[in-house]
Amino acid sequence: MADSTVTRTVVVTDPVGLHARTAVGIAEVVRRSQSTVTLIKDERRAAGTDVLQMLALYVPPGQSVRLEADGPDAAAVLDALESVFAGDFGDPAQEIA
Amino acid sequence: MKFADFICREALLAELSVQDKEKAIREMVQSLCQAGKVDAAQFDDIVKAVLKREELGSTGIGRGVAVPHTKHSSVEHLVGTVAVSSRGVDFASLDGEVVHLFFLLISPPDRPGDHLRALEYIARQLRDDTFCRFLKQAKSPQDIQQLLDEADSNQFGP
Repeated sequence: MADSTVTRTVVVTDPVGLHARTAVGIAEVVRRSQSTVTLIKDERRAAGTDVLQMLALYVPPGQSVRLEADGPDAAAVLDALESVFAGDFGDPAQEIA
Repeated sequence: MKFADFICREALLAELSVQDKEKAIREMVQSLCQAGKVDAAQFDDIVKAVLKREELGSTGIGRGVAVPHTKHSSVEHLVGTVAVSSRGVDFASLDGEVVHLFFLLISPPDRPGDHLRALEYIARQLRDDTFCRFLKQAKSPQDIQQLLDEADSNQFGP
């Protein structure tokens, strides 16, 4: 099957924003995939494998990020990333991201 | 936000004396206690909270960097320190590499926005390879402070 680029826009609903654990969760999913994933916000791009780049995007709660995946499992990896962004990490209320 | 807004210059550690994750966290929190930035009576509770956050997933985010952190009601403002380990600490990092640069952050529970801003600032500076390399080579708290000041003066990064 030919590789294809798939894009999707997700809204960051976590009350802290796109924080360290979300970024690590994204990187873990992308590293397991066969696709290249880029997060895009306001024309700035971050590799989905690079937590520092993702944190530097600075995405507060309520803002959206565009995900661009390119590879044989592009659609599947974006499905998985949507779950990461949905962000139910089972945190106790006391915890910070 | 800049390093000067949240990094305590009296708590900088140019050479962690330990190579163990928990001990490294204890040493950084102790440094903040000794600097008077956090209540020494809260030392054990803060260490416990930072370790609990690590249980949820390592803050070793790759490229030799870790950002251990927690919320704690004993602080009124975001406070943090920077520590360097030339030998590296096994922090169960995302990329499996040992950690050489630590940015420990303690936030008041009601200020998540400051935490995100601090993460963004740290990440933005650390994307500059020169800043990272010089920081790893720091031999004294003064070396670290000078690099943080230079970063705050926009001498690194894009």
